[in-house]
Amino acid sequence: MKLFTTAVLLSLATLSAQAAPRTVDTARSDISFSVKQMGVAVDGRFKRFEAQVSFDAAKPETSSAALSVDIASIDAGSDEADSTAAERAWLDKAGFPKATFKSSSVRATGPGKYEAKGLLTIKGKPREITVPFRAADQASGATLLSGQFSIRRTDFGVGGGEWNEGDLVSNDVPVKFKLLLAPAK
Amino acid sequence: MSQSLPQRYGAVAQAGHWLTLLLVIGAFALGWIMSDMKMSPTRLKLFSYHKWIGVTIFGIAVLRLLWRQWAKAPPLPPTMPAWERIGAHLSHWGLYALLFAIPLSGWLMSSAKGFQTVYLGMFPIPDLVGRDRELGKLLQDVHELLTTILLFVVGLHATAALKHHFFNRDDVLTRMLPRWRKTGDAS
Ligand code: HEM
Repeated sequence: MKLFTTAVLLSLATLSAQAAPRTVDTARSDISFSVKQMGVAVDGRFKRFEAQVSFDAAKPETSSAALSVDIASIDAGSDEADSTAAERAWLDKAGFPKATFKSSSVRATGPGKYEAKGLLTIKGKPREITVPFRAADQASGATLLSGQFSIRRTDFGVGGGEWNEGDLVSNDVPVKFKLLLAPAK
Repeated sequence: MSQSLPQRYGAVAQAGHWLTLLLVIGAFALGWIMSDMKMSPTRLKLFSYHKWIGVTIFGIAVLRLLWRQWAKAPPLPPTMPAWERIGAHLSHWGLYALLFAIPLSGWLMSSAKGFQTVYLGMFPIPDLVGRDRELGKLLQDVHELLTTILLFVVGLHATAALKHHFFNRDDVLTRMLPRWRKTGDAS
């Protein structure tokens, strides 16, 4: 009996250590990036992605996020830019159809400000990244998480070979995101 | 009245004219080559060079028109029949119109395709239209059609100039050429 009680208490404890999962309204969320070529910024976004997010502003350490972005859903403005981005030298849609992010820790850095650390995997290459973000409560009870960070595309082998000669295409790629979390149940 | 009009094009008008020809040949050749290329860094460079040349052509066309208000063009030979005069004026204004319209369509097309035009890689030209795939395709067709018309009108224009020179033996061609040869103008 004592053992059983301990087990229940323990499982309750682990449950409460995890913030409640929140449904992500992907239609009103956005993941976008910008690549500079010949000094010209070309913006793109991913139209399809899945996100499992738990977020608790009061206990940010209990928050977590796992995202999976569908590379084929890229929208870089023109058919040509899209198909170029999907090529092997770039995001290699055929070889690596998904890019993923999985958080390992989340902490508060100021009022309404947080920082997530985690593993970003693009083209099968995992890299540790730090993502600063803000959380803003919406009138509807929803929560808007937004932030931006920058990655170096060569860290992920994106755009190799002739594309890395000179600085025709910038190595730094700013990424912006907005995730709208439905009201906590 | 005709007394106050010059008999030849001045150095500025001539420079504008021949520089435009060189740049149009460059823009046309680059446009032709790059649009059939497979995507590569070289292609992106050609796209940029093409745009810069096109914007320069536009700028020179503006300057030429302004200059023309001040330094009037020499009158057409009095012997020219009316239909030739009308044709000459139509093709000249048509050429100016195309030198404006082609770069404008190229600029709007670039914006619609999500590639802003940054002149010489340094001076961003604002996007007047937002990203729009269908509009981008439409403007590409417009750009291509207008350049085809330009090719045709330039051909007509050059043929007419040569006809005046070799057939009518008037000064219509030479007055747009620097006086490096002593043409012994009687007038
Ligand atoms: C008088 C000036 C210009 C001329 C004669 C010219 C001529 C051409 C020609 C012949 C093509 C190839 C058309 C085809 O076969 O598809 C082309 C394509 C193109 N032009 Fe221009 N152009 C001029 C100005 C401009 C300007 C100012 C811009 C942009 C600011 C521009 C942007 C483009 C683009 C983006 C394409 C490629 C379309 C594509 O394949 O995606 N052009 N141009």
